[in-house]
Amino acid sequence: MRDRREPAEPARLRVDPVACDGIGMCAHLAPGLIVLDHWGYPIVTSAPSRRAGMRAAHAAMAGCPRRALLLEAAYQPR
Amino acid sequence: MRPELRLVIAGRPGHRAVPVPLLGCTVRYRAADRLRIAGPRPDDLAGHLDRYGHRPSSLGRDGSDLVATLDAAALTGRGGAHFPAVAKWRAVLAAGAGGYVVANAAEGEPASAKDTALLHHRPHLILDGLAAAAEALAAVASVLWLHDTAWDARLAVNQALAERRAAGLVEPPVRVLSGPEHYLTGESSAVLDGIAGGPALPAFRRVPAAHAGLDGRPTLVQNVETLARVALLARTGADATLPGPLVTVAAGGVLTVCEPPPHVTLGGLLWHTGLLGPGARPPQAVLLGGYGGAWASWPSAADRTLGQLDGRRPAPGSRLAPGTYPASALPSLGAGVVAPLPSDACGLAETAAVLGYLARSSARQCGPCVFGTRELAGTVTRLAAGRARRAEVRRLDQLIGEVDGRGACALPDGAARLARTALTVFDADVDQHLNGRCLHRGTGPALPIPGGTG
Repeated sequence: MRDRREPAEPARLRVDPVACDGIGMCAHLAPGLIVLDHWGYPIVTSAPSRRAGMRAAHAAMAGCPRRALLLEAAYQPR
Repeated sequence: MRPELRLVIAGRPGHRAVPVPLLGCTVRYRAADRLRIAGPRPDDLAGHLDRYGHRPSSLGRDGSDLVATLDAAALTGRGGAHFPAVAKWRAVLAAGAGGYVVANAAEGEPASAKDTALLHHRPHLILDGLAAAAEALAAVASVLWLHDTAWDARLAVNQALAERRAAGLVEPPVRVLSGPEHYLTGESSAVLDGIAGGPALPAFRRVPAAHAGLDGRPTLVQNVETLARVALLARTGADATLPGPLVTVAAGGVLTVCEPPPHVTLGGLLWHTGLLGPGARPPQAVLLGGYGGAWASWPSAADRTLGQLDGRRPAPGSRLAPGTYPASALPSLGAGVVAPLPSDACGLAETAAVLGYLARSSARQCGPCVFGTRELAGTVTRLAAGRARRAEVRRLDQLIGEVDGRGACALPDGAARLARTALTVFDADVDQHLNGRCLHRGTGPALPIPGGTG
């Protein structure tokens, strides 16, 4: 039930902590949005605001080998 | 079975002027194995109907009335999180009919026995609330979720269901299912995982269960005390005086479940349970809300009323949208746990034991919980033993920040809250322990830890 439309802003980057294995690719691809903690797991520091931020967020999502990142607007039932 | 009960179907709302109690008695359990030590005789169906009257229907218009009543009464989830019940119900209603309702009775909190007491003593009230929820939300079936080891509770529920069938009560079908006895088995996403045949571990939900839970259908998971309150609200309406929170006092290896009025202070509660009074030394601190809860020093907490501490609640008469009940600055009673720390016990040692239990209870799914909760427990354990280095203790604040909110479930959040409040409340002990001294020479662990303090 993946929603393929562009999420409405403001979008929020979230980490699925169960899927995440702390590989750390996301922090390289979106350094302005994600930092790594003591053990190498990502912490989302800010929401992607401008176009460049959204591009970085999409790059991090696509680059995650565990598909553990998601970009979501507040969930709206339809 | 009394013959006059055979033709009973759902009755009309019985209007009662006096506040009806939820449990209305005090029940004591041995903390180690939940053996019932003292308590009155449990309700059978006839006793239940004498006490509460018949459950009014919640179909159609009555269902929307019930949802409005939950909103007016600001009912929040009694499993500990105090999430507004009406927000979940409206989300399920918006997602459509044909879903499921789950009564969650898997009480993983080692210092709480209120759900166990309700299952033993008021099984019909819980089943009334479950049926009311299923009717109001047009659910096709409901589930009662228990621990595998809760055989007595299972017996009580199955007897109650048999009585209801024999009396001809018309209500949606109920299945009684169970999962492993574990701290996390009652976490709402773990409940759905367990019912679906999984290992009953918390899951990261991209879509709320209210929209797509069991079988991808709208699913309501609600604690059994919440459902028992729904059953009362369906009878009385929101204007009636509502019973106070069910509280478990954990002390001396005994769990005392009682239902104090909301204006009672913590001091009054401990006096009622025989822990405070002439000759008894007051506790030095109290753990509120369970093992993922908050420590409070006794002088700061003694005069707080249970109503003030009982989760989030809008001010009387305020018209707030559901889900925006203001969070109180006071620590929450969570699932109603009050665990006083004896004056001769070491708060850091107790905190270390509880953190160790939480770390062992981790589902080991989320990295920050696997590593962070374990490191937190290890550091506090070394601190309690007087073997911690100053650098380690200085890192604790950062460590707590790295654990808080980093898991799929709230276990790391609870561990962070417990550790953070312990460092504040027991700051004098921290200084002493860094110098290898302990101010308190207690007689072993005061809080019940399943499986020992290993």
